[in-house]
Amino acid sequence: MAHGVKIMEPSCRGCVNCIKSCPTEAMRVIEGKVRILSEICIACGECIRRCPHRALLLEEDEWDYVLSKRPMVVVTDPSFCAQFSWPPVPELTAQALFELGFEPIFDEYEAAYDVTALAEARAICSLPDTAKPLISTYCPAVVRLIQIKFHELIPHLVPVESPLETSIDLWRARTRRRDPVTLVSSCPARIAMVRSPVGRDISSAEFAISTSKLAREVLIGSGDPSKKVTINLPLQAPRWVVWAKTGGESMHVRNFSSRPIKTLEVDGLRNVINLFQEMELGKLKGIDYVEARACDLGCIGGIGNAESRFLSRIKIDNIKVSFDMNEGYQNKLESIYEAKIWSLRECIVPIEQMPLGEDLARAMERLKQLHAVYAELPHLDCGTCGRPSCRVMAEDIIRGEGSPDDCIFRLKERIADLSKEIYELSKRLVHTMTSEGKS
Amino acid sequence: MSEPLVLELQVKPLDFLAAGETATQFKETLKSLGLAPEICRRAAVVVYEAEMNIVIHGGGGVMRLQVEEDKVTIMAEDEGPGIENLELAMQEGYSSAPDYIREMGFGAGMGLPNIKRNSDELYIDTAPGKGTKLRAVIYLNKGR
Repeated sequence: MAHGVKIMEPSCRGCVNCIKSCPTEAMRVIEGKVRILSEICIACGECIRRCPHRALLLEEDEWDYVLSKRPMVVVTDPSFCAQFSWPPVPELTAQALFELGFEPIFDEYEAAYDVTALAEARAICSLPDTAKPLISTYCPAVVRLIQIKFHELIPHLVPVESPLETSIDLWRARTRRRDPVTLVSSCPARIAMVRSPVGRDISSAEFAISTSKLAREVLIGSGDPSKKVTINLPLQAPRWVVWAKTGGESMHVRNFSSRPIKTLEVDGLRNVINLFQEMELGKLKGIDYVEARACDLGCIGGIGNAESRFLSRIKIDNIKVSFDMNEGYQNKLESIYEAKIWSLRECIVPIEQMPLGEDLARAMERLKQLHAVYAELPHLDCGTCGRPSCRVMAEDIIRGEGSPDDCIFRLKERIADLSKEIYELSKRLVHTMTSEGKS
Repeated sequence: MSEPLVLELQVKPLDFLAAGETATQFKETLKSLGLAPEICRRAAVVVYEAEMNIVIHGGGGVMRLQVEEDKVTIMAEDEGPGIENLELAMQEGYSSAPDYIREMGFGAGMGLPNIKRNSDELYIDTAPGKGTKLRAVIYLNKGR
């Protein structure tokens, strides 16, 4: 499984900051260098945020190589529009991109995001209360978190494709073009979505690069497009732009629902995990839909952005969106809905963790050993052994992937014991010598 | 049959935050043993509700999780005021929780009914003034 995070080994100092930030405990430091257990990595990017030495980066495609592909068709995250000094209006951003020879396909977004919201709203309305709340599949890090840590919530994931993928499918269907498409992502999770998608066998995008790379190109290469056109106030933008921040998707879904629905929005991994724990205990009765985002403030908070998430939010808060649609467009949307282009082609399945033993009796035996090993550890979770906590260390030991001597405190105790023994031994030697000397 | 595995945790009175944490921790333990997700879910709900009862009514107590090859047993013990009318307490919506607890969103009268629904056997030993001992059993191989 690709995880969208690249390790720059020469820069890694083995400082354990990153392994302690990982929500699934998927990182270890081995021989002074960090390793990622890719099978349980959710590609949230928390480790990249935490690394003080810039040793962790987004695993994007080679920029020069992608650039050499012309025409360069780009599918950017909605948050891309909020990266610049001009207002987050796609027309302006598109103009700047066209000037530099890039080809954004913003024109497909309206139908793609609308059909996504429509499919989500209809899924919510068609289900009995016991099957609710449904959970959005827009954030790929959240989907993977559920696949790895919250198996009971898998049936709650709404089986709707990412509107970014749908945009590419719509564009290909309309233009019949086969040019490669580059997904411009603000986080490692969307890059991983291109490399190893969930819910489909292959992504519609060929390449993946970070928002910050393309944004930098625009910042140095293009003039301010807002100087060339008159901007009418209040600022109007298409509905999909608000998906860049938390709450945007819910607003869209509520507006497309045939009856009033109750949505709950949550962002930041700590909050998302707490909410899912509560949901597993059955505490979210009465909620129809959960919009969960791994990053603070939503996709504008992704680690791969160029602009401050706080400023991005202000920009997006300042625009007005309308949910009015004329009849012709409504019919078009209905036919796209009927074509099921929004639907996930494969089921989302749990990613099973290895139990402690082959059967319950052996697993229980192992768990008792684990408790015994854990009891001997200092419970400081210092990370010096290269694992995020003493608990993980105990698990690694009973799985045969480590020894108690990896613990610096245990080692210190052993050295102390040993030196005491040496001391006592040395006294005895001296004693013998003096008695020999006397006789 | 091997020795049962026992986990024990002290519960402090009115520590609402801890109740969710205990349920999560017990559930993680059951998951690591490779038990079916449905068993883990039911056990977590029982643990959560039983602990909530100790937190709200019992004035603190002890939670115990016992795993054997054929069953999971959850035990909750407190030395609180006891349950006056057990039959009434088992009814959905009946609650004796004080107002300040209900204002916090707890005490909806679903605790004991929820425990009963999620366990295969339920024993409650209680009397006014002598505390409450709850024992809920979930069988691992029983089709429901």
